[in-house]
Amino acid sequence: MYLQWIELVYSVLVVCGISTVLAILMVIADATIGNYGKKKLIVNNDKEFEVEGGNTVLTTLKEQGIFIPSACGGRGSCGLCKLKIDEGGGDYLPTELSWITKEEQKDNIRLCCQLKMKNDLKVTVPDELLEIKEYEVKVDKIVDLTHDIKCITFVFQGDDKMEFKAGQFVQLEVPEYELCEETVYRAYSISSVPSENKRFQLQIKYVSNGICTTYVHKHMQEGEIIKMNGPYGDFYLTDTDSELIFMAVGSGMAPIKSILMDMLERGINRKATFLFGAKNTDDLFLVDELKSLEKKLPDFKFVPIISRPEESKDWNGETGRLSEILPKYLKKPENTEAYLCAGERVIISYKQKLMELGIPENKIFYDSFG
Amino acid sequence: MKQSPQLKKAEEAMKPGVITGEGFLGKDKRHLIDILIEDDAEVSRSGLSHDIIAEKMKFFKEEGIKGEGLPVCVGDNFEVIVESVRGKLACPFGEPGLISKNNIGVINTKIKQEIHFTDFHIHMIEEHGFYQGKGSPYRISPKELIEILEIEPNE
Repeated sequence: MYLQWIELVYSVLVVCGISTVLAILMVIADATIGNYGKKKLIVNNDKEFEVEGGNTVLTTLKEQGIFIPSACGGRGSCGLCKLKIDEGGGDYLPTELSWITKEEQKDNIRLCCQLKMKNDLKVTVPDELLEIKEYEVKVDKIVDLTHDIKCITFVFQGDDKMEFKAGQFVQLEVPEYELCEETVYRAYSISSVPSENKRFQLQIKYVSNGICTTYVHKHMQEGEIIKMNGPYGDFYLTDTDSELIFMAVGSGMAPIKSILMDMLERGINRKATFLFGAKNTDDLFLVDELKSLEKKLPDFKFVPIISRPEESKDWNGETGRLSEILPKYLKKPENTEAYLCAGERVIISYKQKLMELGIPENKIFYDSFG
Repeated sequence: MKQSPQLKKAEEAMKPGVITGEGFLGKDKRHLIDILIEDDAEVSRSGLSHDIIAEKMKFFKEEGIKGEGLPVCVGDNFEVIVESVRGKLACPFGEPGLISKNNIGVINTKIKQEIHFTDFHIHMIEEHGFYQGKGSPYRISPKELIEILEIEPNE
C-alpha cells in the first residue's frame, strides 16, 4: 500500500514536471519563434536602418518614411509594390508568384507586401519613390460633379505642401469604418494644377461597395483630417512637339484636366484634343470650364461625347463611343501622342483603335486604374 | 455536416484579414459546407445550376465591356456597365492565379432593381457554387441573381 502511494506521488510529480518543462518551452518559443530580432535594412546601398525583424518589407519601409505604391493595403491583391531585392530576400513565396514574371524573377523583383524581414536586406528603391511623403490633410470642400462623382479639395496643414507633376496620383488612407476593419489605401489621380501646391483636388466616382469610394461618398465630412501619401506615377506629358489626343470617361478626366491646366500655366500650346465621354448630358461635368480653355489654349479642342442622348434634351454634340468618334479627330496619327485614363478593359479597347489608326504603341500613354 | 480538410482550409482563408479585410463569410456562423449546401439547394429548387447562373453573369459582362466604361442597353430592359477596379484577389479555395475585380453593374429597368457583381463573384459561383456567407457585404444570393438577371431554367 505504502509503495503504491509512493508510486502515485512519483507519477504526479513526473507529470507536473513534464508540464512545467513544456510550459517553459512554450514561453521560450513564444518569445523567440517569429521574433527575428533586429535586422539591417539597406536602401540603395546608401541609407542603413536598424529595424524590427518579422514585418513585411512594405511596412518596414513605411516605418522609415519610404512609401511604396500599394492600392490593397498590403494584401498582395494589387501587385503594385514591386521592388528589386539585392540581398537577403530568400525564396519566392507562393503569394508573390502570381504577380512576378519570369524576367522579373531573374532581376530579383519581389512583392514587398508579402516578403518579410527575416534577414538583413538590401533593397533598391527608385529615386522618385524616395520623394514620396505622408501628409495629414484637411477635407476642405466636397462638391457633387454628377450624381455619382464628387470633387474633393484637400488642404495641407501648417507649412506642408506637395510638389507634383500634372498627371500624378496620391493614395488616400481610409480609416476604419463599417466596410473595413483596418485602414486601407486607395489611389486617385490629382485633378488640380501643380502650381497650387498647398492644396489638391480629386474626382472620385462612387463604386458600389467600394471601400474608399463608399467612405468618400457616404461618410467623409468637410473639416475632417485624413492621411494621404504621394505623389506617385509616371503618367505625365512628354517634352515633345507632337500633337496630343486625350481620352477619358467620367472621373478619368482628373489627370487630363490637371495636364491641360498645367499646359495653360506653362504656355505649352501643342495642338491638343480631349475626347471626354459620358452616358448622357446629366453625367457630363465641368464642360464650361473645359470649353473656356479653348479660348486660352488656341490649339486646344474639347469634345464632349455622350453615348445615350435623351430625347427630351437638346444635344448637338457628338454621340457614340469614344473609339467610334476618334477617327474624326485624329488627323496626323504618325505625329500624335495619346494620353488615356480609364479602367484596364477600356484602355485595351482604346489602345487597339489608336494603333489601328496609326499611332505607334510607344506614343500611347495611359493611367490604367484597373 | 462534417466538411473536408479542403473546405476547412478554404473556410480559414475566407475569414477577415486573410485575403480581404472583411473576409467572405460575414456574420454567418455556419461552416462553409452548410453555406454551400443551402445555396445549392436554392439553386436546384429554381431548376437552375451554378453554371447557368454564371453563364448569364458572363453574358452581361461581355455585353457591358462593349460600352467602353459607359452604360449600354442590353435587350429591352437591362442597362449594363463594366468598370475596372484596381486590384486582384486570390481564390480562397486555393486555385492558382489571381482573379481581377471588374465591377459589373446591371440595372433591370422593368423591375427597377440593380445588382453589382465582379469577376470574383462569377468565378466563385461557376467553380465553387459559393455566393458568400450571410451578412457579408459582398454576398449576392442566388434568388437576387435569378430575379434581377431574369435567369430561366431553359437557358
